Amino acid sequence: MLKKILSPGALAATLAIAAPSLAHHSFAMFDQTKVVNLRGTISSYRWVNPHVSLFVEVQEGPVKHGVWAVELTSPGNLTRLGWSRQSLKVGDKVDIEVNPLRDGALGGGFRKATILSTGQVLQARLVEIEKPGG
Amino acid sequence: MIRAPLFALALTLGAPALAAPDNDPITPAPTARDWLELAHRPDWSGSWFPVISDQFAQVNTNPPPWKPEVQKQIDHWDAEEKAGRPRGLLLDCLPHGVPTFYLITHNSIEILQTPGRVTILGESDGNRLVRIWTDGRKAPTDPDPSFHGYNIGVWQGDTLAVSTTAILPQTWLAVSEAVGIAIGEGAHVDQKFHLIGPDTLAVDLTITAPAVLTRPWQTRRLFTRKRARSFEIVEGVCRQGDFEETTDKWGNPAWRPVAQSTDGNVVAPTK
Repeated sequence: MLKKILSPGALAATLAIAAPSLAHHSFAMFDQTKVVNLRGTISSYRWVNPHVSLFVEVQEGPVKHGVWAVELTSPGNLTRLGWSRQSLKVGDKVDIEVNPLRDGALGGGFRKATILSTGQVLQARLVEIEKPGG
Repeated sequence: MIRAPLFALALTLGAPALAAPDNDPITPAPTARDWLELAHRPDWSGSWFPVISDQFAQVNTNPPPWKPEVQKQIDHWDAEEKAGRPRGLLLDCLPHGVPTFYLITHNSIEILQTPGRVTILGESDGNRLVRIWTDGRKAPTDPDPSFHGYNIGVWQGDTLAVSTTAILPQTWLAVSEAVGIAIGEGAHVDQKFHLIGPDTLAVDLTITAPAVLTRPWQTRRLFTRKRARSFEIVEGVCRQGDFEETTDKWGNPAWRPVAQSTDGNVVAPTK
């Protein structure tokens, strides 16, 4: 019945608007006991609260090929770890370590990235900024 | 013809309700002495970053004394989190509230001192704000319940002792972002803020929650001071991540929802 009333685009928009807000989430959906190494190209890098995220297109290596969604901590915390909204750019070729999604979908929690053109390594370990001072 | 008199009557009947109540004390303007007094308070300037590793250590070594029937629920949610099905206590972007604001935050706070008041601001989620009244007032007899409650602070030397009441019963008493229980009716949280080192702030909490705990839970949370500008508090709007940048049909900058899983993580596009 709904399909008769709404166009596919309108239906999709309605479903999207009706979806609950899900921004601030635990990282337990990522399997902390596993590490997956991705080599690919950054296709999206979103410097946004509460979780910075990036997409990386993976077409090589012994992993599922396709676009992987990778999530990180907040922009504020990443700033303190030396990141900025310019740290990664669309088109950058990278090696990325992630804790993969437990459900097997193409996604993971960020561990480390290496920008292949410069060798720069980016990490996001909050424990490194817990000590007093600085 | 009838409307005008009726309107006048409505105004007349409404007038008493609009009058200021007799028990609405006026907070006086601060004096120069009030401002000078701040110079004698401990210096809590800068940004305070939570010691996240100690949060986990505290819960592991000194867990909340849950009631047996609550413990079963906690065990269930704990198992769900370990199985990778996190409950997502913060998914709705409602405030952490007191005491969870202090217990599990992963983001910095700052502490502002002004005459008669201490204000704690959080960074992430955009809705962390605790007003602690230090002007000698008593808590109202029946304040509106809120996520952060009604906070009365008393200086005991260099320690700020805070009593929090009127906490919404739906506010989480959480041990992680995926494990916790609604704090329930009649909760009361005491906090003592004090420095235990030049750049280390301890918040000693005594959490009384008769609906879910067998006895008050005493626990400590630590924050470390940062003065580097990279640690200054930045805006953190909780729901911003639910949207991505686009333009509307007129070309104006706008937002559109992003694809997310039911657990809240961003979903990559499929080709």
